[in-house]
Amino acid sequence: MFLTLQDNDKRPIYQQIADGIKALIARGHLSEGMTLPSVRQVAGDLGINLNTVAVAYRQLQEEGFVTVRHGVGSVIAPRTPHPAGQSEVLEPLRTALTHLVLAGLSAPEIEEAVRKELALLQQKGGAQ
Amino acid sequence: MTAPATMELYVVLNALIVLALGYCLVKFSWNQPLRNGAGFFMGIEVPTDFYRGRGRTWLRSYRATLVAVHIVLLAALGASFVFGRPDLTPIWAGGWAILYTATMTTFAVWTRRKLGANPPVRPVALALESRRLGDYIFWPLEGFAAALVLFSWWVQLRQDGAQVHWLTPLELTWIALGLFVMKIAAIRTGYPLPAERTEEHYRYQDALRRNSVRTLSAWSWFIVIVLLGTTLRRLSPLAWTAPGLWFTVAVFLVAWGYGMLATFRGQRLAATMGRDLRPAGSFATPYRRAIWTSRSYLAWFAIWFGVLMVLVCFSIR
Repeated sequence: MFLTLQDNDKRPIYQQIADGIKALIARGHLSEGMTLPSVRQVAGDLGINLNTVAVAYRQLQEEGFVTVRHGVGSVIAPRTPHPAGQSEVLEPLRTALTHLVLAGLSAPEIEEAVRKELALLQQKGGAQ
Repeated sequence: MTAPATMELYVVLNALIVLALGYCLVKFSWNQPLRNGAGFFMGIEVPTDFYRGRGRTWLRSYRATLVAVHIVLLAALGASFVFGRPDLTPIWAGGWAILYTATMTTFAVWTRRKLGANPPVRPVALALESRRLGDYIFWPLEGFAAALVLFSWWVQLRQDGAQVHWLTPLELTWIALGLFVMKIAAIRTGYPLPAERTEEHYRYQDALRRNSVRTLSAWSWFIVIVLLGTTLRRLSPLAWTAPGLWFTVAVFLVAWGYGMLATFRGQRLAATMGRDLRPAGSFATPYRRAIWTSRSYLAWFAIWFGVLMVLVCFSIR
């Protein structure tokens, strides 16, 4: 499976890598126990600094998406669903909704966009 | 059965080399700039009417360079026979590799300078597949090759006592070591994949990588067999008998043939798989220089090559 880094994306590269991997986990392309390529390999293939990839992997590890096993590398961790309504989980959603409202989208348009994105995630059977 | 004379062996060996070079020239090198189709020259995107205009001149220049290199090399090979030094054939073979690579690289760089390098692919895709050395290298076989090299050295040091003929074994060991490092570099090296037709680009890149490892392994084995052969010739008087010599020659030729086959196969694979794919490899990624042009890689190559040249100079002396 592949992770695409967009040219016009304003996020830093490490963030694009971390978010891309999270999206693949959500879609079910990356499942528990699968090994991610080493930091050196990703950095070499993309031609970026080792530290950039290391930061992305560390972020994934801190957020519980990845565990590091000695001798194996970075492995996709089991998914532990958060209790619904937990403020920490819903915070990014609030931020995203704020951005959409400020961008001038109406409530029905936002609902439609959210539905589409959710359908994309569920298409692969990843999101529960 | 009579033992083959040294001169006869060199004649056979050189005839084979000339045949293989001729095959390479006609089959692979002649149309190399057209490998990616009519819209490209040496992997660089060109206008559609390029080959109706100045493209013809570029193609003629490329072919003239190719022919010139081969003429120089054939003249050098002929000279080694005329001056009674056919024993310089292995050094000539190394010289061929260096001159050919240097000339063609210079031509490629010149082409990029004049026709413009393709910009790095954007946006890029990253394959989330782990690439481990063990997926490409069969370690027991590598261990066996290393054991044969160590055995050869052990025999050399024991057999000759104080008068160790160290130069040839050292050259061969150094080359084998370099080929092993190149194998690891080939596995570790990758370039960003285009976001379009990513799966095909990924398979193409991986096939090339596997083929590079196979070709380098084939030539490593050739070097190890030559090293072992030269050692056994010192060790056993049997090796100097006619059957012994014929056997040695046969083994060398089989190893050499396997190396050539692996090389030809790699060329064919690259031509077939990459025919309708937009060239993605570049001197630069969207972020910085490609890994194979990194300082550490180039520094390693310079050291390896420099030591090899010193050893070769000692041999010719």
